Formats: sequence, structure tokens, C-alpha cells
Amino acid sequence: MATTTPTDVIDRSEEIRRIQRKEKWRRRIPLLPALLFTIVVTQIPFLFSLYYSVTEWTIRPARPRTFNGLSNYAELVTNKFFRDALLTSVLMTVSSVLLSLLVGTGLALLLDRKVFGQGFLRTLLITPFLIMPVVASQVWSSQMLSRTFGVVNWLLETVGVDRIEFVSRYPLWSIVLVLVWQWSPFMMLIVLAGLQGQDASVLEAARVDGATSRGIFFQITLPQLRPYLELGLLLGSIYLIQVFDHVEVMTGGRGAANVPYFVYQRSIGGGWSFGQASAFSIVVVVFSIIIATFGLRVLSGLLEGEEAA
Amino acid sequence: MSGGNTGPVVGARGLGSFLLGIATWIITLLFFFPVFWMVLNGFKEEVDANTDPKLFFDPTLDRFSEVTEDTTGLLSFSEAFANSFWSVLISTIVVMAMAIPAAYALSIRPVEKWRDVLFFFISTKFLPIVAAILPLWIIARDAGLLNTRLVLIILYTAMNLPLAVWMLRSFFNEVPKELIEAASIDGAKISSQIRSVILPIVAPGLAATALLCVIFAWNEFFLAVQLNPVDGTTVPVWVQSNVSSRGNFLAKLSAASTLATLPVVLAGWVAQKRMIRGLAMGAIK
Amino acid sequence: MAEVTYKSASRIYPGSEIPAVNALDLEITDGELLVLVGPSGSGKSTALRMLAGLEFVDEGSILINGKDVTLTPPQDRDIAMVFQNYALYPGMTVAENMGFALKQQKVPKEERRRQVEEAARILDLTEYLDRKPKNLSGGQRQRVAMGRAIVRSPQVFLMDEPLSNLDAKLRVQTRTELADLQARLGVTTVYVTHDQVEAMTMGHRVAVLKDGILQQADRPRTLYSEPKNRFVAGFIGSPAMNLFDIDRVDGQLRLGSMTVPLSASTDAALESTSGTSFGFGVRPEHMTLTTEGGLPGEVIVVEELGSEAFIHVKFEHRGSDETIVVRTDGETAIDRGDFVNVTISGPTHVFAESGERIG
Ligand SMILES: Nc1ncnc2c1ncn2[C@@H]1O[C@H](COP(=O)(O)OP(=O)(O)OP(=O)(O)O)[C@@H](O)[C@H]1O
Ligand SMILES: [Mg+2]
Repeated sequence: MATTTPTDVIDRSEEIRRIQRKEKWRRRIPLLPALLFTIVVTQIPFLFSLYYSVTEWTIRPARPRTFNGLSNYAELVTNKFFRDALLTSVLMTVSSVLLSLLVGTGLALLLDRKVFGQGFLRTLLITPFLIMPVVASQVWSSQMLSRTFGVVNWLLETVGVDRIEFVSRYPLWSIVLVLVWQWSPFMMLIVLAGLQGQDASVLEAARVDGATSRGIFFQITLPQLRPYLELGLLLGSIYLIQVFDHVEVMTGGRGAANVPYFVYQRSIGGGWSFGQASAFSIVVVVFSIIIATFGLRVLSGLLEGEEAA
Repeated sequence: MSGGNTGPVVGARGLGSFLLGIATWIITLLFFFPVFWMVLNGFKEEVDANTDPKLFFDPTLDRFSEVTEDTTGLLSFSEAFANSFWSVLISTIVVMAMAIPAAYALSIRPVEKWRDVLFFFISTKFLPIVAAILPLWIIARDAGLLNTRLVLIILYTAMNLPLAVWMLRSFFNEVPKELIEAASIDGAKISSQIRSVILPIVAPGLAATALLCVIFAWNEFFLAVQLNPVDGTTVPVWVQSNVSSRGNFLAKLSAASTLATLPVVLAGWVAQKRMIRGLAMGAIK
Repeated sequence: MAEVTYKSASRIYPGSEIPAVNALDLEITDGELLVLVGPSGSGKSTALRMLAGLEFVDEGSILINGKDVTLTPPQDRDIAMVFQNYALYPGMTVAENMGFALKQQKVPKEERRRQVEEAARILDLTEYLDRKPKNLSGGQRQRVAMGRAIVRSPQVFLMDEPLSNLDAKLRVQTRTELADLQARLGVTTVYVTHDQVEAMTMGHRVAVLKDGILQQADRPRTLYSEPKNRFVAGFIGSPAMNLFDIDRVDGQLRLGSMTVPLSASTDAALESTSGTSFGFGVRPEHMTLTTEGGLPGEVIVVEELGSEAFIHVKFEHRGSDETIVVRTDGETAIDRGDFVNVTISGPTHVFAESGERIG
């Protein structure tokens, strides 16, 4: 073997460690602005909230802030309105995410085929997602569902059904309807991206092997779409758990106050009991973290197999 | 397989596909109808709008001019538009300026715990804004930032930053490692590697990301109405102030809504393909 | 131009115990085309990337022109590299790809264009200068990658399996062109391949790696005729050398029923070794088929290639069946099932049990 006697083997480990230490910092620097900004803007308010939540503090009428331990939290357990808000939040988020994912997938599958005017149809379909929630809520409540001028009610009447004031009769589901209308296009975009990324040769191979369209869909397309559906689920949940605008514009909170809206009502929305509202929001955070852990599991599924380079 | 067998099957498929095409059209038009109706109402006289649905009427631009000239609300449309425009534009630029280096540090030359950092960014999106609005309101009030554009710029940046970091990281992951190695052997410094090699590859991803930031910021209502209800009014708040005085002003409201949504809708229409490509390219990997 | 020296250079990847490149000692002279060859995972790419500055050198040093570059970043080493998948910048045209390095060196635009055009002319790429890489064929892309390297006139060319993405015919053609170009430019080149034919045809010298350890670095001829150990003997040559474990009986080496003929020097070297087990090797072209004497056996496969034929002969050795491949000329009358006698007519190789060459 070609081993010469290593007379002058230099051990570089010390030098390399030094370079790597420097390199470590060089790698961190680009991250710092975003990280510091996010910590300052999102974490500091949270610490304030934590502090407020153990105080009794009402500013209208103004009263001095006093420490009152965990009684704000104790109040939560017994507060019926809070529990209602919690239930509303769960129903609203889960149903709107799942329905928009379902509708979005359907739309994507329809659009993925050769259809006359495909691009035009896609353009029309994504529009609801681009429309501001305030406007979407307004259009649906005053022009579609409204008892007096709503197109839906007018249609109902022409087929002989009595007019219904949808938004006040079914506030929660009216909101869900609008959310699904707005978010289905987004889900459609994600699923379309997934369908585009499909390996055409696999599909052809399956067709040659005599697979039925239905078989291809369930055994090939759907598994390939899975990560995209998970992405939709994740992004949808992040945004739909925060819904505020639709509740405010469509119902003003009547009958469909979710947790965000409830916290708002209790504090700057008129309640002005900041200590109490802070306790509510801390609970919201805790719940969100529980949901987030689930979400992050989806996320780590998405990151699975990715190695630190 | 005999020819006689395949014939009818192909024919049936042709018919089925034709019917599905029709169905696609009908569903799409139904989906789009509320938007169409809103735009249509904006061109009506109030008497035509505030009645049973009318498809045919004498179109007028009066509502639009009323809306843009009206100053009975908090602010005029053009003032609100300017507020929105600058808040959205600056916050999106700041988001991209911070997210691009951050995404670089999470994918191309990753820090050791890039996974944890990424999770931290995303986890902040799970914190409900309402939970932070109180202290934000108090901090902003004490800092004299209530009713300024600055507070919205800061908050929109914070709101969009995690999403941008996350999406951009996926796009950066698409850049082959050898390209960066080739560039460094070719003598390119890191800045030049980013500018000449990485950014051109991730350009569609950058566009898709920036567009999403613009959409979310332009349409944001809650923070704007809480922290900027007076001088800093943005377009969504302005629309909502028109709703409050709704009464029999459906046509005017529709005109206002149309104007408010137009910029983002147009941008979205133009960029839709790039957006799909962006999402397909990296949102997952 | 440049000399390259590896001085006991090792690379140990984080999280791994065994070095991917283990105390590599290698000197590459100015203008030389040195080929690194070895099986997959033997550390060829790692050794090359250490020279490029893309991997740390954990122990030892690397010198270019006598200057220690061990800790120099790739940007400052004045080397050019051709990657297996070419790594062309997708957004740039062919001309921009080729001129990129010059641009980094702030070469003025006019001068840059002149050099790019010159390189394009050498590589027959002139008419593609304005195309994007995605609109080129595989062979053209390969040439652009080459062009990107030669435009810079660097100290050293590094190439990591640059031909492996081409089809067989183009690969053979390109490898001659490439060797020719290298000779004309006279730039020191380190070339990585796992294909020993490519290594033997292109390399001025060939360095054989296995498990990160350099086995032998020699001119192709020497590598072929005097492999330093059993691994090199088996790795170099196509078809491969016939290699057997054999025993020393009464001072003689026995293959099947035959006593193998040895040169005087091998005999002398054997005298001074103890042990009874050895490795024995003989190349297919160093045997003939006869009707008697030698090693009797049965033909089981006849590979006819036209100009030559390879006859696989089954024989009994140490109580089990073994196969030996013999080269004959193309017009052989031998058929499967024939009984033949194999006679050794050329040099043989004997290896100690450890694998080291004895003679
Ligand atoms: N980044 C890395 N991290 C850890 N181990 C690595 C890394 N790169 C390569 N290795 C390991 O080092 C050894 C040598 O790898 P190298 O890529 O140099 O082999 P090679 O000779 O080029 O093989 P091939 O012919 O397959 O390209 C292998 O065992 C490989 O698994
Ligand atoms: Mg390799």
C-alpha cells in the first residue's frame, strides 16, 4: 500500500474548530433581523398579556390596576359566554377548513381537465380569495343572504319558499359559508399546484396497466396530493382560527362570537376589563399552542426526510 | 380489444367530459356570481339596487364618483387608499428584505438548529392576534403610534414574516447545491452568489410570496380598525365605515367595495400562474 | 502553471468514525492529467472537493504550487471545476455562464467577450452562445461546462465524472477530445471517474482509491503490468484479471492440477516469504488454449466479440469448480462443452495473503 511514513501530519482540528465557530456566527447573522423582529413584536406583547392577566384592571371606568392572582382564570371556567365562544371557534374553524379543502379539491380536479376557457375559469375562481374579508362579508350579508334585497332570498321566493333572514337565523353557518367561499379558491390553488407536480408518466403507466379513472385517483393521485392537502390544512387552520372580520361585519358578534371576537368584546371592543380579557387571551394562546402542536406535527411530516445540509 | 368495444367507450367518455365541462362552467359562474353582483350593483342607481334583484338597468358611474368624492366618512377614499398603499408596500418590502436572508440561513447555509427556528416562526402564526392586541394597543398608545402608518407597517411585517420565511425557505431548497458550489469556485462572493445565481432561480417563488403578503396586508381589517381608526384609516376600514351608514346605500357601498378590492384582485389575476408555479415549486419540499 | 500536493490529507465527515479520505499522499506535477479512480464510495469526490475547498481537510495539508491552501476558501484558490451534472446557471446564457468567473474577477466586458468567444470557438459552441442551458443537448451542456472551466485559464482543472451523463458513444468520443484539449492547454488536471477504462485511456497517471486509502498511483501501463496489490490487479483491466487463492505445495504454487510458471524474480521473492496461502493472477490475454498439458477444463461460455473472443473454462481447483477466462483471437473454432487445456504463456502475478504484490 502506498502509505509513506507520516512525518509531518498536521492535525487541523483546532484550526477547523476556529473556522467553524466563525462560520457558525456568519451563518446566524442573516437570520437575526427576522428573528429579533419577530421576537420583539410577537413575544413581548404576550409577556404583557401574561402580566395583565393576573390583575384586576378596568380602564373605563378607570380604576387602578390591582393584583388579583388567578381569579381571572377562575372566572373563565364558570363563564358561559366564554365556553360558547370556544365551541363556536372550534365549529367555525374545523368546518370551514374541512369544507374549503373539500370544495377546493373538487374545483381543482374540475379545472385540471381540458376545459374550454380553462384560464378564464381559473381567474374567476380565485377571485373570492383575493377579495377583502370585509367586502366579502358585506356582499354576502347584504346582497346575497339579506331578507329584503338578497339574491338567494329572491330565488327562494320565486320557487315558492318563504324568505329567511339567514344571517340572524344561522349566524355561524352563514359565516362558515362565506369563509368556505373565500378559502376554497386558495385550497384549489394549492391542489392545482400538486396536480401540476404529478408525474405524468406514472399516470400513463397506470392507464396502460388498465387502471380505472377512479382507481387512478384513489391510488395514485390522492397519495401524491397528500402533502399538498396537508399544507392546505395547515395554512387554512392558521388563518381561519383567527377569523374576526367576518364575525364583526356579518353579525357584530350576535350568535356567532368566536374566541377572538369574544376577547375583543371584553376589552377594547367595549368591555374595557383588560385584566379579564388578558386572561381570556392567554387561554386562547394555550389552546392555540395545543392546536399548533398538532399543526407542527403535520409540518414536521412535511419536513420529514429533509436533512440538515 | 376489438374496435367495436372501444368505440362506444370513447364516445361515452367524450360525452361525459363535455357534461363535466358544462358543470365546471356552471359551478364557476355560481362561484363568481357574488363578485359579479357586487360590481354590477356599483353601477346602479340606489333605487335599482335596493329592490328585488335587477339584471337590466341604466348603468351609471355616479356611485363611483360619489364614493371617491364623499368625505362624510372618516377619511376620503384617496386618503385611505394612500394609507393602505404605503402600509402594504413598505411592509411587504421590509418582509422580503428580512425573509430572504432568513430563508437563506435556514436552507442554503443553514444554522445548526434551523428546524427549531423554523418552528418558532410558524408557531407565532398560531398566536391569535386578539391575544396580543391589548398590549399592542397600550404600547402603541404610550409610544404615540396610534393612528399612524408606522404601527401598521410594523404589525403587517410581523404578521407576514413567518409565512414569507417559510415559503422562501422551501424555494431556496430547490436551488441545487452544486450551483452554489460552482459559483463559489468561480470566485463569487456570497452577495454575488445570491444576486446572480440564487435569486433568478427562486424568482417565481419570490413573486408568489410577495403577492400573498400583499393580499393579506391589503385585506387586513382587525389591526387597522383597532390601532388606526382615525387618521391612519386603511381601505378595509373605510369600506366598513360605509357599511355602518348603510341604510339604502347598497349601490354606493358596492361601488366602494369594488374600488377597494380592485388593486389586489387585479394583481392576483395577473400573478395567478406564477402563484401556482411558486406553490408547486417549493411549498412542500 | 501548477503543481498540486496532498500531504497526508484526511477528511472525516462529522458523525462518521472512518475517514472518507485517509492520509492521502499524492503529488501531481505541472501539466499532468491525473485520474482518481475507485469503486463507489471510495472517496474520489471527497478528495477532489478537498482540493476545491468545498470540504474541510481535517488532517494534513493541500498545496498548490507549493503554497498551503488548506484553509483557503474556494473563491481564492484559482481552480475551475466541472461537475457531474454540469451545474450550469439556468438563468444565464451560454456566454454568461462561461463569462461568470471572469466577471467575478472584474475583467472588463470587452476582454471578457473576447475570451468567451475564443473558448467557444475551441469547443465549437459559437452558435449557441446566446442560448439558455435548458435549450441545449446533453453533450452541448457538457461542453459549456468545459468552456466555463477553460475560459478562466485556472491553475488547476477539477473534474468529477464529467462524462457520466453522456451516452456511451459520445462518452468515448468526448474523452479523447477532452484529453487532447487538456494536453494542448497544459493545465494541471485532476479527473475523477469510476470507469477504469476511462481512467486508463485518459490519465497520464492513475491513482486508485479504495475505502479512502490510496492503493497505487502510477502510469496506466505500470498499473496494468505491475499492480501493487490484489485489489488494483482486480480493478484495473477489462475483462478483469483471473484471480485465485492458491496454496504452496512442496515449494510450488498449484492451480488445479497445474504448477504455475513463475519468473525468476518472483521465485526468488517467494523463497524469502513464509506462509502457504497466496493470491495468484493472470490476465486473459496471457494464456493460450492447447490440446494437451497445462490446465484441463471444460468450456462453459464463449463470448465472441468479432476481433477477439473470451473463453470461460471451468476447472477443478482445491476441490471445487472455478472459472478462468482466456482470450483468443476472433476466429475460434471452440464451442461450449469442448474440453480444452489452458496454458500460461505470459506474465503472472503473485500476491501475499495480505494482498501485497510479491512478484
Ligand atoms: N456530506 C457527507 N457527509 C457524510 N458522509 C459523506 C458525505 N459525502 C460523502 N460521504 C461518505 O464518504 C465516503 C466517500 O464518498 P465520495 O462521495 O467521496 O465517494 P466517491 O468515490 O466519489 O463515490 P461515487 O463514485 O459513488 O461518486 C462515502 O462513504 C460517503 O458515504
Ligand atoms: Mg463521487
